[in-house]
Amino acid sequence: MKFRRPPWVKPRAVIGLLVVCAVLAIGPLLHSDVYIHNLLTLTFIGIAAALAWNWLGGYVGQVSFGHAAMFGVGGFVSAQLELKLGFPMLIAWVSGGVIAGLFSLIWGHPTLRLRGPYFSIATIGVGEATRLVGTYWDWFTGGSSGLSLPMHHNLKFTLYWYALGLAAIAMAMSYALRRSSVGLSLLAIKSDVDAASDVGVSATRLQDLVLFLSGAMIGVCGASYGSYFSYIEPGDMFGFDRSISWVLTGVIGGIGTIAGPALGAVIFVLLRQYLIASYPQLYLGLYGILLVLVILFEPLGLTGLAMRVLHRARPDLAVTGVAGED
Amino acid sequence: MRTSRTAIVLCAVLAAACKKSNQTEGAPSGGTAPAGQTSAAAPAPGGDAIRIGATLPLTGAESRIGGFYKEGYDLAFEEATKNGGVDVGGKKMPVQLTLLDDTSTQATAASLADRLINSDKVHFLLGTYATNLVEAQSVVAEQNQIPYVNGGGAATAIYKRGYKWVFGLLAPVELLAEAIMKWVDAQQQAGKLPKPATIALLWENTSHGKDFRKGVTEFANKGGNYKIVVDESFELNGKDFSALLGKVKAANADMFLADAHLPDYITMQRQYVTAGMCHKIQSYGARGSEKQAAEALTPKNVQYIVSAVWWSSLLADKNPEAKRFVDLFKAKYGGRAPEWYQALGYETARALFVAITQAGSLDREAIRAKLAGLKIPSLLPGGELTFPAEFGQQSHAPFVAQQNLPDGTSPIIAPPDAATGKGVAPNPGCAK
Amino acid sequence: MRHFKRVVGLKLSRIVELIINSVLLAGLYATMAYGLGLIYGVLRIVNLAHGGVIMAGAYAGWYLHELGVDPYLSLVPVGVASFFLGVVMYRGLVYRLPRGAAGGVQSLLLLFGLWLILRNIAYLLFTGNDQTLRTGYSTKAVTLAGELVSVNRMAVFAVAILILIILHILLTQTYVGKAIRAVAQNPDSCTLVGIRVERIYSLTFGLGTALAAIAGLLGATLFPFNPGFGSSELLKSFVVVVLGGLGSVAGTAIAALILAVAEVFPTAIPGFPTYLTAAVGFVLLVLVLVLRPGGLFGQRVLG
Repeated sequence: MKFRRPPWVKPRAVIGLLVVCAVLAIGPLLHSDVYIHNLLTLTFIGIAAALAWNWLGGYVGQVSFGHAAMFGVGGFVSAQLELKLGFPMLIAWVSGGVIAGLFSLIWGHPTLRLRGPYFSIATIGVGEATRLVGTYWDWFTGGSSGLSLPMHHNLKFTLYWYALGLAAIAMAMSYALRRSSVGLSLLAIKSDVDAASDVGVSATRLQDLVLFLSGAMIGVCGASYGSYFSYIEPGDMFGFDRSISWVLTGVIGGIGTIAGPALGAVIFVLLRQYLIASYPQLYLGLYGILLVLVILFEPLGLTGLAMRVLHRARPDLAVTGVAGED
Repeated sequence: MRTSRTAIVLCAVLAAACKKSNQTEGAPSGGTAPAGQTSAAAPAPGGDAIRIGATLPLTGAESRIGGFYKEGYDLAFEEATKNGGVDVGGKKMPVQLTLLDDTSTQATAASLADRLINSDKVHFLLGTYATNLVEAQSVVAEQNQIPYVNGGGAATAIYKRGYKWVFGLLAPVELLAEAIMKWVDAQQQAGKLPKPATIALLWENTSHGKDFRKGVTEFANKGGNYKIVVDESFELNGKDFSALLGKVKAANADMFLADAHLPDYITMQRQYVTAGMCHKIQSYGARGSEKQAAEALTPKNVQYIVSAVWWSSLLADKNPEAKRFVDLFKAKYGGRAPEWYQALGYETARALFVAITQAGSLDREAIRAKLAGLKIPSLLPGGELTFPAEFGQQSHAPFVAQQNLPDGTSPIIAPPDAATGKGVAPNPGCAK
Repeated sequence: MRHFKRVVGLKLSRIVELIINSVLLAGLYATMAYGLGLIYGVLRIVNLAHGGVIMAGAYAGWYLHELGVDPYLSLVPVGVASFFLGVVMYRGLVYRLPRGAAGGVQSLLLLFGLWLILRNIAYLLFTGNDQTLRTGYSTKAVTLAGELVSVNRMAVFAVAILILIILHILLTQTYVGKAIRAVAQNPDSCTLVGIRVERIYSLTFGLGTALAAIAGLLGATLFPFNPGFGSSELLKSFVVVVLGGLGSVAGTAIAALILAVAEVFPTAIPGFPTYLTAAVGFVLLVLVLVLRPGGLFGQRVLG
């Protein structure tokens, strides 16, 4: 059987992704700095989560302030499956992700009818309610003390490649969701739900699908984060700060663009690590400043900025890869 | 035009961010109170100093206590430096503490431990304070197989995980609850409490709180002399406990037993007093006698509160190690008396130093083995520090119960052999 | 059903106590929510910086108290100062957004960024430590209908009622108030009759900000706070505003009472964990948004 390339898959993009992944995959063999190794693992998880948030926040235009709910559900379900039922790690991750995706549908299906700020407000409520209930249910989350996961030898080191794979899958899905025919339908929904429905786009079903994918991927990220730390705690997993970190990475990196949130996530994780030892609280404020500047001057964030700079240098590269913000 | 301006602004912000972080890497100084700091003897950079890493909650909810532990650590390191360093195989080596601020959050405490081990390359770790933070942080120590001695994590959950590299100086909270209940039981025997006596039991929903609940519940169910009428958990670092207290008030119990950390104790007690509540016996577990609480609530509003703690400066009368510490502490901090937090911080660092000397090398495994077999005279009640393997390397030193009296003192009221005063029950302050 | 009977079978004194608690709590909630509702009602902007301003108000009150000013005396200067802060926020930031985007997600994100900045300023100035505003009457209580009630809580309630009355009079009796209501209903025709719409917008934003700061100051007399203070207050404000229909004075008051009752009364249900009462409001928020997007009392604007 021969695989036939769909017309929207550009060979250049596929090769680019493969090359980057290959370089990163052999990177750890060339250096032995555990700290950088671990930092990159965290960055990959951050990239995957930021991209997943963007599917809903950027592609559909429904900005969620409550995605930590799925991060936590994925993390704790996966942890419990490993602890209580002895699931192998990867199966536990996937199961955690699926359940997180289903959980997002429970609250998301009704609330996705709301548009713009109303949806955002509802997600804040969902996020906080989930955090409170999660913290209360200590059979599930271990209460404020959290859960310790089994510690496998060398797991933390090998997680690098798992996380890299996760980020690569998320990147490929970001590309597919934007460039395929689904992407066009999402653009239509984003600009006008009613009009989209009139021309035959099944808005409800598509939005639900994207929400499910987004929630499930975030859930898997939560599960891998749990495996990385071997310890998870509801205040951190379900925390509002975690939800807003994805809003920040998405908007600052370039909301609705394919790779922008990944860029945002890289900067977010690195900046945070730099500041955490000396100014543990400062990084959110810096991000606040960046957010305000982006909203006022550059709606597509750092990606838009890069595009404009490139555009000036090489007019033939005009803003092609970026879906326009309305 | 607009593009370039935007570009400049964004770049400037990023540049400023990076520049700032670089500055703080080198020399933390300036007006904004940098959290990372290095103290004690300044060895030649990269020279043969013993590098010890620690985090403490220097800001955030537990910042007060974090400061107390820092005083304890500082004192121990200063003492070691005065002695010319720590003896390692006949050679005195300077000790250097890299202390970071974990902002009272678990995730930060864990990430910083990773950073201390893998980036700052410390030889050993000292623990942070509060059970929930130690629970998160000790995982990183175990993963990296680095000796981790802590005086801030008390819940048995930390030590039941079968970890090899984690050592705790605090005895379990279950025993703390038992220490309080034993004194209560003596009061009931003496006819000062009704039989059966009713208990309103509140516990923070952490391993710490669950241990407390277990200790009280098991004791109460043993003889049938007690009945628990309220049994509720509350969120750590809560803001408003009035609904919970309303429930306690409605239950009209004889005793109010809560397990709370200092910020929650202060918040809850303030709302308790405002609601006009009073119980024959009142306790917040390990909290109660803190000077901060008396200042925040006025001494009148904390009187007769019973607490059980891991150490009291009153032990100095009978325990030479405790006396040595109290004198040392008073000399450094202008005559101020230490509370158990500083004592445990000091003793934690000292335990590690002793193990290093006993091992005679900086080999992690050798020091781990020495810690596991450690048996030294200590300032702790009972006068001895060990990390018994059967309890997951958690110390089981006894507790002392104390009670705040109207004259502002908090004498030890139990166990009888350590007592320096007599407890009062029922609370004579309750009118009606 | 059994639970219900047991609630009904409660002692009268317990019910009186619960009612008093609900009403007092509702006063605080209404004050917190009104600023948010006013700005939304007139500008159609969801002010996510609301939580940050609440926090700033708490610190302002605390700081003045450290200097020796009673928190209730500092209500006026804090209110005035934050009014101008609000005007600056509007003219300097929100006003610059492309028109049309102002009411959407962009303004939400912009103001959210502002909130993060405010939070960080507080961290830098006051560290992340918990602070409490303690006065001589912090723990004083008086007997009311057989129940001990905190003097401070009653004072907070009195201020809340006073503010609502002043607001109501301002909106219904004065020229400015009538202009605000007119702009809320139809900004275009206001321009035609000579109302300077932008000026009204600035004014409203200032007013909403001042109310948030006052609410924060009042909250600080009751609860400990740190730079993260304001997020759960913001959420509760959302609940009240969404319940009450955006922008109506009476609706806000009733909605605040509903939220307070929904949080206070479950504590009387045996077996219901007090821990979860805080989640009741958020569940209510999502339900109302989904079922009655116009609020329980319909979409009335500043009535």
